[in-house]
Amino acid sequence: MDVNPEHAHPFIDAAAPTHPSLIDTSHATGDLFGFVNIPMAVWIDEDGNLVRPAEAASIERSPMRDMDIPDGLPERLDRAFREIKKFPEVANEYRAAIVDWAHNGAASKFALSPDEVVQRSQPRPDTHARAAACFEMGQHLLRTVGHDAAVPYWREAHALFPENWTYKRQAWTLITTPADATENDLMQGPNDVYEGNWLDDVIAGGGGESYSVVPQL
Amino acid sequence: MILQTLENVTTTHVADRTGWTAKAEGMCRGEICVPAPGALRDNGTVDINVMANRLGMPLVHDDNTGVWALGPATATGRALSTAAAADPEFIDRSGHPFRLSSLRGRKVLLVAWSSY
Repeated sequence: MDVNPEHAHPFIDAAAPTHPSLIDTSHATGDLFGFVNIPMAVWIDEDGNLVRPAEAASIERSPMRDMDIPDGLPERLDRAFREIKKFPEVANEYRAAIVDWAHNGAASKFALSPDEVVQRSQPRPDTHARAAACFEMGQHLLRTVGHDAAVPYWREAHALFPENWTYKRQAWTLITTPADATENDLMQGPNDVYEGNWLDDVIAGGGGESYSVVPQL
Repeated sequence: MILQTLENVTTTHVADRTGWTAKAEGMCRGEICVPAPGALRDNGTVDINVMANRLGMPLVHDDNTGVWALGPATATGRALSTAAAADPEFIDRSGHPFRLSSLRGRKVLLVAWSSY
């Protein structure tokens, strides 16, 4: 999910995957599947039916969870690490569930019925739907008019749907990453364009514990 | 879904981006159809206002460019209205179009990631 495919290319090239690696330049998968953060995943069976809705999709325990936070870090970086260490950890269980489904298909206890898939999908009140329209309008104006034209719509999307991290992170990274940088600024700190930033919004949303859509396995 | 105008929008275009197909019986996706009298016009185009009203889709208009953005349906209150997977057009690393439907017959784990 990247508004600019050029931003995705280095990651794809480095991974050299044997599976299809696709780019969603319009964040359409957010509307269509309910992705609100990354990594998230859906499972689709051989007939094209979803058997699990959008949920956090980490399959490896992050080394950041086990590392010791060095003394003397800048205050915001220290706090960011502490919030990251609070992220819910179900990577091993989620990976095992994928393997179970791969082997057992519809007989897997992790493959849900169509009704369960719909009921467990992300909530979509009117505010979230309007946020999606605003975010898409912003993407369109970014491409056709320029960045400044996108900002009001992205600000509205953030206000309407504060739990949607893809809307925020996509917008923030275009502000906080210098034009000549070789890597994105993942801290996405305070800036003059948007009211929020990564760390303060994580804390406002309930802390690292609330940062992801935890799979209910 | 970005629209330059609300007129002459084809059923194919709407279905491709929203997953909803305008049929005589209503707006349909997967196994469900929502009655939407007038949504499918005689000339095969879609009345966007009727569809948006029936499915609870917001329409956002940019006065400077005249462009519309149509948001997703809220008819069921959930992100998914049906378990039938949508089939948007992606691009691959080389810029070629790719649809998930080309993988029918195989299990698909669709993982979202980003550079940010």
